[in-house]
Amino acid sequence: MITVHLEPEGQTLTFDTLNTVLQLLHKVGKRQSQALVIRGGELLTQDRKLHRGDEIVVRGVTSRG
Amino acid sequence: MKCRVCKQTAAVALPSHHTAFCPACFAAYFARQVERAVHNHRLFTPEERILVAVSGGKDSLALIHQLAGQGYNVTALHLDLGIPNSSGPAREIVAAFCAAHGFTLRVVDPAEMGLSVPEVKAAVKRPICSVCGKIKRHYMNKIAYEEGYDALATGHNLDDEVARLFANTLRWDRDFLGTQGPLLPAQGKFARKVKPLCRLSEFETAAYCFLHDLRHGATACPYSKGASFTGHKKLWEDLEQRSPGSKTAFYEHFLTHGKTAFAPLAHKDREPLQDCRICGAPSNLETCGVCRIREQVFAVKEKAGADLCGQGREAKNSL
Repeated sequence: MITVHLEPEGQTLTFDTLNTVLQLLHKVGKRQSQALVIRGGELLTQDRKLHRGDEIVVRGVTSRG
Repeated sequence: MKCRVCKQTAAVALPSHHTAFCPACFAAYFARQVERAVHNHRLFTPEERILVAVSGGKDSLALIHQLAGQGYNVTALHLDLGIPNSSGPAREIVAAFCAAHGFTLRVVDPAEMGLSVPEVKAAVKRPICSVCGKIKRHYMNKIAYEEGYDALATGHNLDDEVARLFANTLRWDRDFLGTQGPLLPAQGKFARKVKPLCRLSEFETAAYCFLHDLRHGATACPYSKGASFTGHKKLWEDLEQRSPGSKTAFYEHFLTHGKTAFAPLAHKDREPLQDCRICGAPSNLETCGVCRIREQVFAVKEKAGADLCGQGREAKNSL
């Protein structure tokens, strides 16, 4: 199970299987340039592999006024 | 993905540059982009005093942090707009950030001058984002000019500039197209305005803040829903996805080829500027836009006060 926290929405999602950051971004409807993907204090590029038990933050970067 | 420079694992991928960087090499890249903007557009020199408008968002915090890191003489300016659930937390973030990094902070409270944004919103019929922008520009310029700063720096990034250029182009607004860019020179009582982050996207400023552990605000202004720039940014995001580098090309080519065509036409029909009869700020009319807004707010308050008195009299008479 991979747990994903969406910011600033404050939503938490779980996924049974996700191979890469790119797959995750597709699942949450974001593009690479629209969000930072963070695992344990590290920024991940879209080719990075995700693993069972990962806790990921997807932080939107678009200013909203 | 490997860092283009040192071949370590990359942390930030930049498709628009066909590259990726590790945290250390990204920091060097970020600094280089700011240096290039400052140098190419002659924004300011190391000897000059820079007033940096700091909202508490990622762009303005990244800007002042980076300029200070490059040795520039910076002072932070924060405007507390009195917006419920938004201005208070933003002010706290800015105060904590400036205290942590040793930046001098100047806070201006337009609400103390009769211009709290909720009251303004209730008094004017125009879209509040445009009125709020006018109030912010007025006070930022006033402080920069009256306190003798050489330049006023804002955290506008490439996405902001592209969205603005796109909006100006949709209207073929020659006044704005002739003056848009990272440098607006000082003129009369207008301070020099500069945008040193104009080569960096908001993804890059967000990555910079994360990698430098800069805690910034991310709460949307409660009044910004439906703002046109947000829609324009989404359109450009689609284009950038299909054709990486489009935003940079649109903006940079405008600066080198397009702007010069509009510059001679900008403000050609504008009335000569005069000092506002109330506050002395430069204005096309006898009273500047901000003082006119303040008069509208007072008029609404007076009317509300008179109505309350009237209701009180009616209630008393009915007893």
